[in-house]
Amino acid sequence: MGGAERNARKRKQQQTAARSVAQARGVAGGDKKKVVAITVAVVVLAALVIGGVIWTTSSKDSTEGKVIGAQTGTSAPGVVEKRDGAVVTVGKPEAKKTIDVYADFLCPVCKQFEESFKGQIEEHVNNGTLQVRYHMLPMLNQRSDPPGYSLDSANASLAAADAGKFLAFHDALFKDQPEEGGRGFDKAQLIKLGQDVGISDPAFALKVNSGAYEQEIQDAYKKIAGDPSLQQDFGNGPGFGTPTVTANGQVVKLEQDWVQKVVS
Amino acid sequence: MGTLARLGLAAVWLVSGALKISDPGQTYIAVQAFDVLPDGLVRPVAIAMPLVELALGLFLLAGFVTRWVSVLSVLLLAVLIAAIAQSWARGLSIDCGCFGGGGQIASDQTQYPQEIARDLGFALLGVWLIVRPRTWLSVDGWLGNSRAPADDDYVDIAEGNE
Repeated sequence: MGGAERNARKRKQQQTAARSVAQARGVAGGDKKKVVAITVAVVVLAALVIGGVIWTTSSKDSTEGKVIGAQTGTSAPGVVEKRDGAVVTVGKPEAKKTIDVYADFLCPVCKQFEESFKGQIEEHVNNGTLQVRYHMLPMLNQRSDPPGYSLDSANASLAAADAGKFLAFHDALFKDQPEEGGRGFDKAQLIKLGQDVGISDPAFALKVNSGAYEQEIQDAYKKIAGDPSLQQDFGNGPGFGTPTVTANGQVVKLEQDWVQKVVS
Repeated sequence: MGTLARLGLAAVWLVSGALKISDPGQTYIAVQAFDVLPDGLVRPVAIAMPLVELALGLFLLAGFVTRWVSVLSVLLLAVLIAAIAQSWARGLSIDCGCFGGGGQIASDQTQYPQEIARDLGFALLGVWLIVRPRTWLSVDGWLGNSRAPADDDYVDIAEGNE
């Protein structure tokens, strides 16, 4: 009887011991799992944050160190560029028709406008039927990061006009247009472009750096944005937007054949 | 149901985070359009927002610290809803950019009620997960006790361990 009882007690003890060992192991295993999970989580988080910040920064700064592609001038002989305040007139002086183009170098729709209609406009400018008055505006000046690209580029384009290179400068900036919300081109890049399109006058760089025409541009923009005859309904009620084109004091609807209609 | 809520909310964060991070310029414009942040904070928020969303999405996908991630998700959604509501109240014409895109749009294209309703729906998923964070196929389950939830009515008995 004594033996049986002892055996039973022993078995119970062993069971208890086994259970506590298993429990201890289970806890240790859980801890190990937790360490693994936390480590993985921290590594993933760190990779995400570092990778994300590097990617975003490099993407928004993609214009850094870039050389803006200079376009070869396509103006025919006799086409002249004349700056008057913040307006640049391009064309042959004898041209009968005139249009006004209001645009912003950062505005994507303005780039589309250039791609769609530059050929037709240029044709009529070169054959002496059309003069174009370009108004480059700082409408999206807050839309670059850092802000200011719209104004810097508009100012530089006026300085380029003084050297007779507005159109080449203008076309190059639209061709290589920076993305909204990202870094634009800085003044050094704008100056380099000026040199690449053939401006040798040292005054160009000085005007770009000092923002020589900024005040004139801002004043002109204020007047234009408040001018009821330039407003269109973009869905928010009447307002001013870019690109806007006028002919004979009327806003032109930018349909496929608008250039033809204006010159005929 | 809980598992679906978890994976659904994870998908929401992963998709919206991925779309935002793939177009940093647009995200910057979208954040700016809400017009609540000082200029200096627009870029940091535009960088951080998609990363936070991706992180929340990954954690939910893995089912790791589900309850806390759900709390953060609901808080973030509350901030987004507040941001949308304020631009609605102020009469701004913007797209929330919740899934990429965003910025100013024509006033007849605003969709404030829909955007808010959608975010409220996502927040409900989050609330569900706060109440019942235990789900199938989760790291939490793997860590805590090996018992998988019996069904939707499973009550979080591992509570004491946390």
